[in-house]
Formats: sequence, C-alpha cells, structure tokens
Amino acid sequence: MKLYKKEGNILQILSFSNENAEKGDYLLVEDPEARKAIIAQVIDVQFASIPGVLEELLRTLPDGGVPIQGEDIDPLEIAPHITYIQDASLLVCKIRATLENERLSPSSSWLPSRSQSTIKKLSVPMLLKLANVEGNRPIILGGTKDSSLLTIDATAVDGTLNIITGKKGCGKSHLSKLLMVSLIGYKATVVIFDLNGEYSSIGMTTDGKRNMHYHKIHALTPSQNFKVALEQLHLNVVMGILIHALHLPGTSAREFRRIWKTLQDKGNLTLSALGEAIRNLNCNQHVRDALTSRYHALVNSGFFTDNLAEATLLDESLLKSKDEGGAIIINLRNTSTIDRQILVEYVLGKLVDSLQSWKLKAVFLFAEEAHLYLRETYWDDIVTRMRHFGIFTTFITNQPDTIRESIYRQADNIFLFNFTNEHDLDVVSRASRVDAETVRSIARDLPPHHCLTLGKVVQDFPIVARVRTLDVKTMGETRLFFTGKN
Amino acid sequence: MIEQYTITTTPKYNFPQPTIDTTLPQRFLEQSIQSLKQVQPQRLQLNQQPFQQYHNYEQQPSHLRLNHTPITLKPNHQETTIAAVDTSTIKIGETATGIIIAIRGATTWKQNRQYHYTRLGPFIFHITEENKNEVYNTLEKAYFNTYYNSNRQASPHLTQMPTRLASLLERWLQTMLAKTVSHGLILFDGSLTSGTFDTPVQRMKEILSLSRRNKSIVLAFSKMTSLRVNGYLITEQLPKHEPPYLLETTGLRFKSPMIPLGDVYVARLNKANYAFRLDIDRENPLQQRMTAVEQLLGNDLHMQGYPETLRLSHILCTFTANEVLAIKHFITRKHGIQIINRPDMHRLLFGPFGRGEIYS
Repeated sequence: MKLYKKEGNILQILSFSNENAEKGDYLLVEDPEARKAIIAQVIDVQFASIPGVLEELLRTLPDGGVPIQGEDIDPLEIAPHITYIQDASLLVCKIRATLENERLSPSSSWLPSRSQSTIKKLSVPMLLKLANVEGNRPIILGGTKDSSLLTIDATAVDGTLNIITGKKGCGKSHLSKLLMVSLIGYKATVVIFDLNGEYSSIGMTTDGKRNMHYHKIHALTPSQNFKVALEQLHLNVVMGILIHALHLPGTSAREFRRIWKTLQDKGNLTLSALGEAIRNLNCNQHVRDALTSRYHALVNSGFFTDNLAEATLLDESLLKSKDEGGAIIINLRNTSTIDRQILVEYVLGKLVDSLQSWKLKAVFLFAEEAHLYLRETYWDDIVTRMRHFGIFTTFITNQPDTIRESIYRQADNIFLFNFTNEHDLDVVSRASRVDAETVRSIARDLPPHHCLTLGKVVQDFPIVARVRTLDVKTMGETRLFFTGKN
Repeated sequence: MIEQYTITTTPKYNFPQPTIDTTLPQRFLEQSIQSLKQVQPQRLQLNQQPFQQYHNYEQQPSHLRLNHTPITLKPNHQETTIAAVDTSTIKIGETATGIIIAIRGATTWKQNRQYHYTRLGPFIFHITEENKNEVYNTLEKAYFNTYYNSNRQASPHLTQMPTRLASLLERWLQTMLAKTVSHGLILFDGSLTSGTFDTPVQRMKEILSLSRRNKSIVLAFSKMTSLRVNGYLITEQLPKHEPPYLLETTGLRFKSPMIPLGDVYVARLNKANYAFRLDIDRENPLQQRMTAVEQLLGNDLHMQGYPETLRLSHILCTFTANEVLAIKHFITRKHGIQIINRPDMHRLLFGPFGRGEIYS
C-alpha cells in the first residue's frame, strides 16, 4: 500500500488486490522519520484511476454481442502484471487518530511522508489496546473480520444514551438481547419495553431449557401478572397517565386531583370508590363526563386492581433485581395504544420514584420502537432529567427518523446495522459522535447481523463486527404464511 | 507457448499451420530475456517525451497521375477470409546505457462472420550500443537465414531499433499469413513500396509471391499518404460519385532503391468522407484486384471507410498506458530494475511549453 493523497482528514491510499483491504478496516500509516503514525479507517474502496484502463476494457468488449475469439501468446507473462495494475484500488480512509509515543490524539494536522511511510493493517485487538478499550466487565459483542473478538466494557454503557438501529431483520433485537443479558450478568437492573413479546423467553435456551439467566428474568404481562392498585400509585404518576396518556383537560385534572386527595385522606383509594366519587361529583357536566370516560379507560385497561395481592409483582421484581441483577420485561404485545401509554407512564413514574428514593441505584432501560408509546415530552426528559436519576436508555428502532434529532446529538453509543435508504442514513449521521461519510459509506454495505459500533464503547473508533450468537429462545421471528408448506 | 500457435479451421483456411517456422518469435523471446539480464544492476529513467516514430517518408514520385474517373465497386458477399496484421512498439524508459522497449504484434482474421485474433508479445528488450548489433543480427538471421545471411544490413541507430525490431516482427507475421491464408485477402498496414531498411525488396516480393501462390491477394491500406498530384494529396481529390469506388493512379515511379510492388489506388469504401491510399499487388490481374476489393466490401465492416479487421489488428497490438505500467512493474519485479525519476529537462526549462514534439 502507498500513501497517495491527504485532504483534510481524508487519506487516499493506493492498494493492490493481494493486500485485501476492505471497508471498515483500520490502517496504520507509520512515518519512521517523524516517529508518528496515523490511524485511519477505510470508509470506501474505489478503483484506482489507472491510465489506459478504458482503452483496455473497450478492446475486450464483445463484437456485436459475441466476444472476439482470440489467443494471447505472452511469453514473458506480462498479463498477470496488467491485471495487477488494473485491479489496483484506492482506499478512501478517514483519519481517526495520531499515534505518538504510544499515545493517541485525535489530531490529523500533520502530513506523513508519501515516499517513506509504511502502511499496514491494524488488527482490531491492537487498536482496542491502543485505544484503551478494556475494562474488567467485558461484553463480547461479536467477531471482527480479522477473526478477533470485539469486546466492549459494560462500564462504557453505564450512564449513557444508546441507539440500536438498522433495517428490519438485520439483528437489532438480537444485539439488544445480548447487551441486556450481559448487563444482568454484571448484576445490573434492566427494564425492557417489549413491544412484540420477544424478550419473555430470554431465560430459556434455544432447545427450551432454562439457562443461567432464567431466575433473573421477570416477564410482566399487563392485566395478567402485572396489575397495580390505586393505593400504590403516587398522585403524580396518575396525573401523568391522565394528562399525557388520556389527554385529560386542565379543569378536569384539577377536579380529579381533589377527588384523589379526598379518597386518599379517607384511606379508601380503590377503583370502585373512585368511580363512585366521580359519579357523585357535583360539578360541570362536561367535567364529570371527561372524568367518567377516563375512569372507564383505566378500568378497561385491566391493569388496575383493588386486590393488593395481585399488585406487587413490579416492586418484587425490582427488589430482586436490585442486588443480583435482573431484567424486568414489560410485555406490551396485545395492548392497545392507550393502554401502552398508560403502562409506560406508570413504569417510568415508578422507576423515577424508586430511583429518587434510592430503592434502586440505576436502571438500564431498553425501549423498542419507542415512538409507539413514548409521549413527545418524554424524549428530552429521558435523555436529560431521567438520566440524572439513573435511567440509562437504549432505543431500538428500524425507523431512525422516529427518534428526535436531539436524541441523536446526545447519543453516546450507536450500534448501526445495515441501511440502504439515504434518508435513514442521513438521520443517523446527525449523531455528534459519528461522521456522516463513515455512516453513509460503511452502513450501506453491512451484511446482515453485522453492526457498526460507534461512540464511547469503542473510544470513537468505529468498528464493524458480526454480532455473536446467543443461546436464547427467540420469539421475535415474523410469523410466515408459507413456512412448512411445500 | 509458440508451439501452441495453431488454430485449426476450415480446410479452406488453415491459420497458422503447424509447419510454421517459429524460429523468429523464439529468438525474440531469447533476445528479450538476454537483453533484460544485462540491465539488472541499472536504474531506469521512465520515458518522459513521446516516443519518436521514424517514418520513412516516401520520395515524391515523378509523373504520378490520378485518374478521376471512379472505378465503381459492388460488394461481393462470397465468403472470403480476411486477415490483417499490425505491430506496435513503445519506449518504456532509458537506462544509463540504452533504452528499454516493448514490441507486440497482432493478427486478426474474419471468418464465418466472426473476428478472431492472435497477439504475440509483448517482447521487452534492453537495447544498448553494445548489444544492438547482436540483437538485430540474431533476429535477422533467425528469419532470413536462407536468403539474407550473407547480405546482412548494417544494424540501425539505437533510436531506430524499436521500429526496426517491430518491422521484423511485422514482416514475419505477414509471411505467416501469406503462407497460411488461401483464397483470402491479406491486409497490411502501410504501402507496398519496398526498398527501405524496413521493407527490403526481396523480402516483400517473397511475401507477395507466397500469398499469390495461396491464391490470396495483399491489400495495403495507408492511413496517411504523402503522394500528391498537382500539389494536392491524392486522397483529397475525390470526385462527386456515390461510394464505394476506387481511383486509379498511374506513372508511379520512385528513385532507386525504392520500388513500388503494388499499384496505387485511392479507395473510398463507404459514405464516410474518408479515402485511403490502397496498394494492391501489381502482379495480380486487374480483374482479380477489383474482385478482391469487392470481396473486402462484402465481407468486412468499414468504419470511416477503413476495414474493421485491420482496425482490430491495430487496436489489439497498441500498448495502453495500463500495459506500459504493467511492463514497468514487470521489469521492476522480475529484473530488479529500479525506476528513478530524473527531472524532465523540457518541463524544467520550458514549463508548460516543454511538452516536447507531438508525433501522430
């Protein structure tokens, strides 16, 4: 390989077919005299502009659709040299860092010698070692192209905002399961908003046996094993549900607050008492109607109960997870949009409560397709206010434009799977820890199950890896009509 | 490799036959390798100026006349094999003692409505003042052992060596076609004027004789000509007549030692406004010559009035910039020649005006 050009932080390197450099590979451009080296990543592979190639191709073109039959008597065997030159490629590389005295700096301001520099591939383990991507809580994400493992440290996702995004069916949920399982392995508390009910079996192996995580998985299905008593609810949480999920107007909300406090003072905070109080409320008919309709929405959700014995599971699960780690999976499958919003409002309110009162230290929240249940104001809330309470969110989506731009800007880590749509790539490239060229060039060509990891976990050295397989029972597979049919 | 130079086709046309004497290409290879061995410890300065082609400009014949009455042609579609030959040479660079050149030849033929080709080379030579005589004479001897050994010409100047060696290869390829093509048309690039260093009379006569023996006719197309009548180029005095047609010239005589072996015509073969000087072996009767051109019209494509078979020969033997790079790569890798980049004095002294002479 030979250094050809440097423009800004882009290097162009001439490479030959036997050197096998591909998109995503890292190269070390060492200038022995300057005693410095540039670490650059290949973001595009192009044909080198070799003079005469067009003429060469033109004369091999078919004649009227039939190739010209011929024989080349090439006694000196020049032909392999022609092919060698013709197949030369130009590696467009992004400078990631400068290595000087075994220390990395993000500088790209110096120019290595074109004639003296040596260029060699930098293996991922070597890169990770140089970048200090190590720790005592390793999470093996998968294998890289050079058959080494991409290992990140769990502490690098602690306190961070993460996004897992990519086209449908490319392995996003698989990666989120991998992260989740790894985190609970380090005794972390993980809460998952499981939109398709695909995380419930994470405690089982592919052949249906219990795995080591079985006892740490708490699958909560609303209105079945996950109910809540009004008595357990904080007024703020209920108001949140009524105002944000059920869109209760301000006047009615004030009346509701009054009713709630009256019932609370009487020690009679039950569904039936609430219904009775609304019915007997002496107020404007519109206000009563508004309260009545919201009351019925709460009752019909099946999520609220007056039986305290039925309503302890979330608290229990959080308590269990606190010391030994665990995953609380909120199964949102088969729930209506309104019920989903009620549930999410409740769970988030409950988490904030628990964190504020130090019942919990911190929670890793995994939210799949959050736009389907997260209200507008929560986006900023999650990345700013709730983060300070200790809720560290990972958004998982196949529609990157449903996540607000401010989220991308503040994302610490992005796990990017294949996208071919320019619009999707544009959206993702707005993330502040990502450069647009890398995203556009590498993500477009990622094979299924390969993920471009960007951000803090890899010390801002984007790395492509094939996500490793997990021995857990998958539930997220699409049901097909033709499966099993001849 | 050379022994595999055998293509079996119809009984009418066997190209080339196993009996072909492959001594010359073998000597080309031997001399190529031998000469490159001598360059090993040296450094190579890449070619900076366009390669200067030494054209043997013909003397202006006296008494040349052009008959402006066109000989109308009618395409004859009777299946006829058309074969053509061309060679190419390029200077790759200079060493302290000489030059490194590459030579390649190509023959193409159209048969059963399909084009076929055979390319021979590239042969790469390191020519120095010391080895030029040996290289040239060895190759001459390999080809003309029987007739010309005793009458060997003085070896050419170093700068003329590329074209001389290419001419040797071209004559050999022409001989091979003349020996192997029967009842066909053989197209040469250039004229049938002989008597120059590159076109010895005896050698040219032998080629034409061989082709006549095989009932083939040689047609030589010149892309450029210097022949003028009344001060105007003969190819620019076209009558208002529907092509295809030929214009006949008469009175073509050169001063010794140059001898025209063909009769010269101006050929306008299609509606494209281009005409070419066409030399046809004058030993063939007039009717046969006309039939030959009509068979060419009926059997070959003509882009801009130039036969496609000959055009392909030229295209296939021409060195592309990519190939030149590959040859440099070859001599660097296989023969350990270090490429150096001396400053180009033309550019250094004259800046944008120092591009050197441009040769077509």
